Amino acid sequence: MIQDIYNAVIEMEQERVEELVKQEIDAGAGISKILNEGLIAAMDEVGQRFADGEFFVPEMLQAAHAMKAGLDVLRPYMSQGESGNKGTIVIGTVKGDLHDIGKNLVAMMLEGAGFGVIDLGVDVDTDQFLAAAAENKADIVGMSALLTTTMPGMEALIKAIRERGLAYKTMVGGAPVTPAYARKIGADGYGEDAPGAVETARRLLNA
Amino acid sequence: MDFCNFLTRKEIEQVHESSLEILEDVGILVRNKRARDIFFKGGCSVDTDGLVVLPRRIVEECRQSYQPTYTFTARDPKYDRTIPGDRPIIVTGSSAPNIIDPITGEERRATSADIANIAYLINELPGFDVFSISTLADDAPQGQFSLSRFYPALKNCLKPVRSNTPTIQDLEQVLELGAVIAGSPEAYRERPFINHHYCPVVSPLTMDVESTESVIYLTEKGLPVYGTIVPNAGMTSPMSLMGTLALGNAEFLALSTLIQLIRPGAPMIYAVLSTVADMRSGNYAPGAIETGILQMAHTEMARYYNVPSGGYIGLTNAHSNDAQSGYETGMNTTAALLAGADLFNMGGLLSTLMAFDFAKATIDSEIALMLKRIRRGLEFSEENLCLDLIAKVGPGGSYMDEKHTMKNMRTAAILPKIATREMRGRWEEEGRPDAHARALKEAGRILSKENPARFPAELDERVRAHFPGLVAGDARWY
Repeated sequence: MIQDIYNAVIEMEQERVEELVKQEIDAGAGISKILNEGLIAAMDEVGQRFADGEFFVPEMLQAAHAMKAGLDVLRPYMSQGESGNKGTIVIGTVKGDLHDIGKNLVAMMLEGAGFGVIDLGVDVDTDQFLAAAAENKADIVGMSALLTTTMPGMEALIKAIRERGLAYKTMVGGAPVTPAYARKIGADGYGEDAPGAVETARRLLNA
Repeated sequence: MDFCNFLTRKEIEQVHESSLEILEDVGILVRNKRARDIFFKGGCSVDTDGLVVLPRRIVEECRQSYQPTYTFTARDPKYDRTIPGDRPIIVTGSSAPNIIDPITGEERRATSADIANIAYLINELPGFDVFSISTLADDAPQGQFSLSRFYPALKNCLKPVRSNTPTIQDLEQVLELGAVIAGSPEAYRERPFINHHYCPVVSPLTMDVESTESVIYLTEKGLPVYGTIVPNAGMTSPMSLMGTLALGNAEFLALSTLIQLIRPGAPMIYAVLSTVADMRSGNYAPGAIETGILQMAHTEMARYYNVPSGGYIGLTNAHSNDAQSGYETGMNTTAALLAGADLFNMGGLLSTLMAFDFAKATIDSEIALMLKRIRRGLEFSEENLCLDLIAKVGPGGSYMDEKHTMKNMRTAAILPKIATREMRGRWEEEGRPDAHARALKEAGRILSKENPARFPAELDERVRAHFPGLVAGDARWY
């Protein structure tokens, strides 16, 4: 039952999620239904419980791992239309900055919400962001920074995107980044935390 | 004063053992090529991904040259401070991007003009020993990022100045400023009054490129530099105080090994900002009491290694000068003091490391005086027992008009400017000012006067001629 998959994600039971997804596929359930009602909906609930202070960060992560495991079982069966890819996001920590924990959490939550995420890691410069965005036909480019001294990399990338007339939407986040700063550098969106980033991504892509 | 100890000698040795094991069995990922070469030449193994494994023999050999003292140099020698002798030395918190505007009360980006005012304030506040440049300068002209911070700092403060730089170019520019102020590079080398600090280690067990480069550069030149180790339990270290201690301690040993391999005998400080993340949200929580406990434990390890210790202790998560700000700063610093920490990077910041506040700095100066008073302690002596006086005044007498009382009344106890001792009625008449209001008023009172520590005109002209386009850097109150 789809509901069992949903529950297993919330209960962070990775192996059970994998088993149940396989069972549902074998039973002939709709692939999109499994994806949207079993997996993505569960992650939405996880995000809500996190926002309510009921789920702590490690629980959110474990649930995301369980969801991803289920998604991996489902993926070979997904057709183009059913890819469930709500959008493609290229994400990375800007040049000169090696801090990635927040960014990793955001990447996991975005995947949990059904986005295709290409995580470029840390110390990523403008050219690398642009190359990856082009190669993966990104919808959104997401940038993270912890050091105030590396933040200018965000502005540089947004400027490059604008100057080349590229259509990517941009999102920024990280400890020293504020909504005011995001506006100042012309970012399309700001993520205060991981669930906030998911909301922003959804808003930007009307997903 | 006997220091507070959590760990037995055996437990300390086991932590040391564990750190050696971590360095030997797990290793440290070193992203800076020069650092990898130094470790390799020093006898460590380096693989193609940059993973450095430190054999315990190398770590122990380098321990032999650890120095027991560290000196912060000022332009004027009377402001030099050496630890552990001068403990506790109080250093302001550094590099916040924002400031709470003293007039509007709103948070905004900080500027070089703010740094000038802050430098002057710290020069005047008695609790502070070292001025670590509290904020960044949003108005820095292109190519003068660090210059726009160090110039107003040095121009307005005679106490030792400390901070970091993001690149070697910036670092060289700052050293050039030092040379111009001193009169020549040689004169500057005699008394290098810019004190450097970096966080080259990114937990867990990784060394970065830029900060590591700066540490290498300065150590090679024999200029003063130390690093702070920053594991964050639950995120970048185990969700356990002991695990975080072992990991952070390993990172200290790795950094120290690098420094000692470059220059045996280079002075260092075992400095940490070892914390536990709030796992409900992942938020950074240096105001937590666990920061204090970890500082105490790292200080015990520092004592075992016979190096000075301290770090960022006394930060608060509070966004205003409320009770949370008071108890977080107060409790954590007291715990660290009682454990024997020498250096306290506290002072002036709200919202962890994000914003400088003039009233917070003024309150922190008073907390600093209270910490120093604890260190001063009872001053045991026959004379201080006052037996003759007690006999003289006798039962039912008064000490109020005794010569001894008059002689000691200004020094026996702190006479705080911010803490109120008034009766409630008087306080109500004054409009019920809280600590924040009183502190801000005191900061304003200090900063409304001309700065006596300001560069002499001739020196300032020389500096400004050398660096065209330099920010004004003048302390000017509202």
